[in-house]
Amino acid sequence: MELSGGRFLISFDIDGTLELGDPPGRITTEMVKRARDLGFLVGSCSDRSATSQKAIWERMNMEADFISLKHMLDDVKQRFDMHRYLHIGDRDLDQMFAEQAGFDFLWEHEAYTEPWLDWLNGAGGPIAGQP
Amino acid sequence: MFRTAVHPGLWEHKGKVAAVGVGHQGTARRWDGTAENSVGAWSIAACRKAIADAGVNPADIDGLVLDTTTTTGAHWPAGREIPMDVVAKFNQTDDPLDGIAKLSGEWIVKNMPELTNVKYIMTGPGCMSACIVVAAQAIGDGLCHTSLVLKSWHNLDGRYYQGGANAEPTISGPAKWTNPWAGPASLGTATQFQRYMYKYGKSHDLMAPFMQNSRHNGLLFPEGYWAQHRPEELPAEDYINARWVAKPANLFDNDIPIMASAAYLFTTAERARDLKQKPVYILNHASDNLKARGFGGFPTLEECETACENVGTRLFEGAGLKPDDLSFENMYDGFSLFHVFHLEGLRSHGIGKGDALDAFKGDISINGPFPISPSGGNVGSGRTRFWKHTDCIQQIQGRAGARQMKLPANVGVSGGPMPTGGNFTVWGSSPD
Repeated sequence: MELSGGRFLISFDIDGTLELGDPPGRITTEMVKRARDLGFLVGSCSDRSATSQKAIWERMNMEADFISLKHMLDDVKQRFDMHRYLHIGDRDLDQMFAEQAGFDFLWEHEAYTEPWLDWLNGAGGPIAGQP
Repeated sequence: MFRTAVHPGLWEHKGKVAAVGVGHQGTARRWDGTAENSVGAWSIAACRKAIADAGVNPADIDGLVLDTTTTTGAHWPAGREIPMDVVAKFNQTDDPLDGIAKLSGEWIVKNMPELTNVKYIMTGPGCMSACIVVAAQAIGDGLCHTSLVLKSWHNLDGRYYQGGANAEPTISGPAKWTNPWAGPASLGTATQFQRYMYKYGKSHDLMAPFMQNSRHNGLLFPEGYWAQHRPEELPAEDYINARWVAKPANLFDNDIPIMASAAYLFTTAERARDLKQKPVYILNHASDNLKARGFGGFPTLEECETACENVGTRLFEGAGLKPDDLSFENMYDGFSLFHVFHLEGLRSHGIGKGDALDAFKGDISINGPFPISPSGGNVGSGRTRFWKHTDCIQQIQGRAGARQMKLPANVGVSGGPMPTGGNFTVWGSSPD
């Protein structure tokens, strides 16, 4: 599905980012589902193994569009032709791998207001927290 | 106290000291800030479980050996407020962090009023492996006759090994000679393993069967972190694809920090005969004191190999056994890569230098002829350095539950932490 502002992909770190992570983050399952229902491609990129990430998505009762290891974010970008790519995490490493892969990046504490929803209105400028 | 001579002779107390009780409390990934889940509270609970398990009258306990340090990488941050509401729940020593981020023998005795006759309190520095050695020797020497042996771990929120000197932009003091390269804690082991792979023509992927086996065994350890909180096997693909922390040490080669407490009840062989559980006899203990010559304080691979080989010699000679008398081994694995060095140092069941990774291709499970790390170790249950000891006791007692090895568990070995500088114990079903 193409959204009004384009094709968007959001990658979520798990621990410290999602509410089901350990420690829990502020991104709720409801937020992830809302993004998915609105047409975003959503998945996880974490240091957790693929097996462990799948278990998290099962607990969220959702099917991820992609699951990847954090240091393989660039593979996700190659798999999906999108207008915008966003990774959300809580660690310097999240930011580093996101930037290396050409993703926008949001810290978990910047993301819980769901700024990506503005993209649906064609807001194409830098997202909150970006220079 | 520590047996470090290359040929120390038969241990004078062989078979005269026994483990009879086990108690565990926890686990959690981090402290939740409550008194009931503090490292002090968990330590008390673990001790009481060990006492009950052994069927000992607390008034008969006259020894306490513990490690007063309860972390290696989650030290209380400077300036962080101490939760005095938690402190107030216990009979405190003059250190408010006692029972929260450290643990003294005085604190334990003050908070376990049933321990009315403890006269011998001693530290086993750094590790349950050291506590066991100290307690065994102390009982053998008659310094006490019935001792609790305690090791506890706290973990705080935030990242491990990121505080203190590691948070500073420069290194000063003695650490400038030992930490010149920065890098994570596993850097030294990674460097040794890189050399190992080059020397013996091996690859990191060959660790996968050991890692799978360890996680699987850990999931059979009801007290373990993965069994309790994240019951996930570790397929080879998941292990091999994990991010490098210090190549060739990846995320799973680095153990996960947790909170937990374990206590054992040791006594003399004579007293053990009348207690509730089958005695597990300590046949020998040995330690390594090799000082690395390499710049930066990292032992070279060759120094690790020498240290492990010396420990193997000491262990078996001091126990009056041969390497192939071992029924199973539970040497340390946190970091997982140096389990290879420990295992090869034992020279048991045909596994010598350069052989371990090939041995992992065979049946190393609890159903095989020589189970490798049936406890699952830190890989299988989280960073405590004590699963291996508990497993040795339980295997020999026949109480390892789903982890119980198929063949008779007559002689086991455990110990650590590092290939250089560790403490190791030989356990037996018979005092002879």
